[in-house]
Amino acid sequence: MAFTWESALEELRRRHEESRRLGGPERIERQHAQGRLTIRERIDRIADDFTEVGEFASIPIRDAAGNEVGSLPSSYVCGLGTIDGRQVAIGGEDFTVRAGAPQTYLDRWKGGMGGFVEDLAHEYRIPLVLFMEGIGGDVSAQDEKGHSYLVSSMSWRRSFELMAEVPVLVAVLGSAAGGTAGRAVVSHFSVISRGSVLFAGGPPVVRRALGQTVDKHELGGAEMHTSVSGAVDNLAEDEADALDQLRRVLSYLPQNVWELPPRGDRSDPVDRSCDELLKLVPENRRRPYKMREVMRTIVDRDSFFEMGPGWGKAVITAFARIDGIPVGVIGSNPMHIAGALDGAAAEKQIRFVDLCSTFHLPIVYLVDVPGFMVGPEAERAGVVRMGMRAIQSIIEAEVPVVTVHVRKAYGMAVSATSNPDALGLRIAWPSVEWGDMPIEGGVEAGFRREIERADDPDAFRRQAEERLLALADPWKTVEAFGMEMMIDPRRTRRVVADFLNASLHAMRSRLGRGDRRWTMRP
Amino acid sequence: MHEVRAELTASVWKILARPGTPVAPGEEIAILESMKMEIPVEAPVGGVLTEFVVAEGASVQEGDLLARITAD
Repeated sequence: MAFTWESALEELRRRHEESRRLGGPERIERQHAQGRLTIRERIDRIADDFTEVGEFASIPIRDAAGNEVGSLPSSYVCGLGTIDGRQVAIGGEDFTVRAGAPQTYLDRWKGGMGGFVEDLAHEYRIPLVLFMEGIGGDVSAQDEKGHSYLVSSMSWRRSFELMAEVPVLVAVLGSAAGGTAGRAVVSHFSVISRGSVLFAGGPPVVRRALGQTVDKHELGGAEMHTSVSGAVDNLAEDEADALDQLRRVLSYLPQNVWELPPRGDRSDPVDRSCDELLKLVPENRRRPYKMREVMRTIVDRDSFFEMGPGWGKAVITAFARIDGIPVGVIGSNPMHIAGALDGAAAEKQIRFVDLCSTFHLPIVYLVDVPGFMVGPEAERAGVVRMGMRAIQSIIEAEVPVVTVHVRKAYGMAVSATSNPDALGLRIAWPSVEWGDMPIEGGVEAGFRREIERADDPDAFRRQAEERLLALADPWKTVEAFGMEMMIDPRRTRRVVADFLNASLHAMRSRLGRGDRRWTMRP
Repeated sequence: MHEVRAELTASVWKILARPGTPVAPGEEIAILESMKMEIPVEAPVGGVLTEFVVAEGASVQEGDLLARITAD
């Protein structure tokens, strides 16, 4: 048949319509009935516009005799999109086609665990947004290949490399198992919608391996991962909330590590006096308080967005802006184990500090820490190793760290709040107390023999405590320049903003990937 | 019926609200003690405090039931 534009364009149109049918109306209906969107609907909702790549890639459907009797669109949708005016690579499994099974039937992988969409993010240095909903491995792939294969033949290099290059933001919506679950976790920020699940192996696998019958939500539900395992950062109420959270996090991050994050609007005056702070921090030192409110007060109005609120709760980690400058804000949380740094909190802090360092977000650390968490539970959970890793991460951070001391600062945990080998700028409020360990326990441990030998052990202990308490006057430390500044808390926003503005010059000269070939581990 | 649970491992230091009395959302109904800190327990909802299932001095684990409130 002779070529005509009319018929060629008609064919293109027909194929375009076919690709819109996904896995067919029944499968789409099932997806909607479970409160989930299709991959195309997700992309349409998050992107202002979208140019698809690989739209016509498809899976042949064969009859029992092996004859091709039709086709389905491939199980992955990807392309170049725009979110809030910024170009990003977007991809996701189509769960209506073979439950989003891997695209082994194609000449070139489209995305997830490498593939075109990840190459696009890498080569053009633009953020990568992934929607994860798939079963990971699939025995039918072995059927197609005609032999079994080792997963180690597949490279993960690109996915990990991206962690050092561009923001990788992931939403888990539905079920993510095996490879899909693994891919979801290799990200700078992940969110999972209520009712979604993520696991290395689902209930049937657990039953076979362990003889244990377990509900899939109990095994790897969204609530569990965002409060116990920490494998996913944030919980979303529904899909719309998850998309909002991705959009929000992107707003704090640059296109890539060779650029600075975009500065936001500067309408909230930096010299706004933060009078509420005096009410928020109670005069009774035994009373905890809402550190989140303290953080919110200091940063630009409505700019506070918390990452990982549900686990590692002894520290609060949040994106925010001060004078429009995107920052990472960390705060001890006196409402949870008095803000002591335990293993989970240390792990959460490390992840966040590494993220800030990768994307040039200066860190503001609000400190009220009684030390590493103590007790049998904490020791068994490896608090010492995790705590020391937290110290390492802050030393390695290639961004300014401005530390604000609110109340307690005891023990080694304080080393995880600033870096004396960089500028190590610390700003104290008059509400502080500090030392290498709290006086009461310290006297008991340090003067044990003297206390035992004393005629009146209680009196000796009391006198020793009083003597040391007098030395603990924070002003003496300030006089010795063991603390760089002491300020009225109401001026904190202004002072921090001044130093952050000054640091921008250094930040501009340090763009790029830094010294390390690979950056943060997920 | 709304259940109020301990957010952390602690001892019950003071009970502030009496069973059968109304409580406002956010009102402190008890104070726990942990790590030398006084941790307030706030009513998650407004209503009538039905009962406290723990007494002052009791040890509680994270997630343990402390009190019940019948919401307005």
